[in-house]
Amino acid sequence: MGRALKTNCWELKGCGRGPESAEPCPAATDTTSHGTNRGINAGRICWTVPGTLGDGFVQGAFHEKQPLCLSCGFIEQVRREEGEGFRFLKLARGVNDPRSLRATLEQVEALEAIHQQLSSRFDLDRVLAEITEEAKRTTHAQCSLVLLRQPPPSGKGPPQLRGRFTVGGRKADVAIPVDDTSAVGCAALNNTSVNVKDPYSPRRRKPGEPPFSKRFDRACGCRTRSLLAVPIRDAQDQVVGVITAVNSDKGYFSQDDQWFLEHFVVEASLALEKDALLKASASTMTLASIGETVAALSHCIKNIAHTLRGSSYIIKRALQRNRMEDVRSAWELLDRHVELLADLASDVLTQPFGPPGHPDAFVVADLNETVRNAVRLFEGEARARAVELVLRLGRGLRRRRFSKRGVYRAVVNLIINALETVPHSGGQVVVATRKNRAGEAVITVSDNGSGMDERTRQALSAGVLDPGRVKGTGLGLATVRSIVEKHHGRITIQSKPGKGSRFRLYLPTDPEERAGPLP
Amino acid sequence: MAQAKILVVDDDPDDLKMISMILEPEGYQVVTAENGRDALEKVESEDPDLIILDVMMPELDGFAACAKLKSSPERKGIPVILLTAVAKRIQDTKYPLDGVLRAEAEEYLEKPTKPEDLLEAVARMLP
Repeated sequence: MGRALKTNCWELKGCGRGPESAEPCPAATDTTSHGTNRGINAGRICWTVPGTLGDGFVQGAFHEKQPLCLSCGFIEQVRREEGEGFRFLKLARGVNDPRSLRATLEQVEALEAIHQQLSSRFDLDRVLAEITEEAKRTTHAQCSLVLLRQPPPSGKGPPQLRGRFTVGGRKADVAIPVDDTSAVGCAALNNTSVNVKDPYSPRRRKPGEPPFSKRFDRACGCRTRSLLAVPIRDAQDQVVGVITAVNSDKGYFSQDDQWFLEHFVVEASLALEKDALLKASASTMTLASIGETVAALSHCIKNIAHTLRGSSYIIKRALQRNRMEDVRSAWELLDRHVELLADLASDVLTQPFGPPGHPDAFVVADLNETVRNAVRLFEGEARARAVELVLRLGRGLRRRRFSKRGVYRAVVNLIINALETVPHSGGQVVVATRKNRAGEAVITVSDNGSGMDERTRQALSAGVLDPGRVKGTGLGLATVRSIVEKHHGRITIQSKPGKGSRFRLYLPTDPEERAGPLP
Repeated sequence: MAQAKILVVDDDPDDLKMISMILEPEGYQVVTAENGRDALEKVESEDPDLIILDVMMPELDGFAACAKLKSSPERKGIPVILLTAVAKRIQDTKYPLDGVLRAEAEEYLEKPTKPEDLLEAVARMLP
């Protein structure tokens, strides 16, 4: 016998976005969750649905709105009312039964496998082929393709997206113009994901809905029923390609499919970035320095993969033994580390600053807090190396306009460099902030490490990336420079061999005003 | 039969939690420590049958903690599994791979470790 339905979130919160409203909330229309925790649609498991209201704003996916959801009180109410039947995490990625949970775990494992691939050996074509294979498998697509942006062959017209696919056992090349005549071209042109559903349906296209070009179908003799196209971006946020997933059976790709494809794009971006790094070695970067970068990256990835693999194992075993409490605990670990993985990829790519709302955008915030957070990241590491890590925060920096993530990354990079040069015992790294007479925010990172000779200092001051001359990769400082330039600031470097180095970042009052509005 | 007691040492609370969750349902009793120094104290107070030791930790790293343990005539018989993500290619590091040899641990597992491999190593080392 079915149980009576209970209060849904829109009834409790009075948001006016119930199923009958003019603009219903995604939780009110998510029929796949109907009945879960005795709610209408996802009305009693709304925390797992992207696009719900929270704190007066439309929120993102679960991992983004998690703090809000956990403090809302509704989860606790549903948990109390449902008792042992309460379901909390099953829809964390759109999963609503153990079978789907297993499928999701497989998807996470696929991501992990790609990361391992990236951290162990490198062959761009092979990595891209594995990425498309995994993307195809996890999104249940029949075809997945990486198309890379190339200049037009004749030098005229729009750039093209080129790739190679296999149809009927033979290989064929495909070239799609970067313009608005096709969904894939639109994804590259507008730098946004495109999800095309049932393109042959006779219904009229909605305004803003991307067009669908039948040329590709004609070329390979198939009939697309759904298509996902996600742009691949480089470190400057420029589109360097598109990854596609095509299905001729299923009429749509779900939000989960899109989520996973977007994560595979991060892997593809990393692979392309790594390929570019390797090619750049011919000029100023040494292979040894790249090896160090890869090794450091590999270390981070291994730690994250360790937890992903362990939690995935715990969840599988707990499902077999019906230990749902273990599933919940391990899922939280897994969720947190998937996000860490995404953050790591994002950090490696050193994306430039985006529009308002983008994590890299300029905001008014407390600069000291950002610097403090960066320092906190290394407290354990400094203790482990017996290095004294000192933080001195100045006044007048509570309301500054800057890119929080940019400044955070800059300070992180300078601390990494400093920690690499100081002795393991007796080393000291000092991070300080102040506001100077010109109103600039000054961030100083100084160390008592090995320092550098005048020629190296001058080369670094001039922005020459020559890591052969300094310990580490030199990429860190290039990143810092790029971030400071985005703030229209400057860097000064003081250093003496055997005495240490001091890096000062000067960030003007309002970089955005000087730079003009961001695109 | 009494449960075998395993001391798990790691400075990352997530890793401590995860390894405990792998071992406990298999019938092992788990005690934890957050660094090498804490681990040596727990060895005295808890008398574990096996130690799983991370390498990069504050206070006293896994190599040093293991070496100290193995220099003690009373405690050197406790088997140790070292777990680490230290990359083999890093030459100029505080944690070179040959530290494993110097630390005289019985087993060395590289992260990301397969839980099945960890359980197999644990079962093999316990009497």
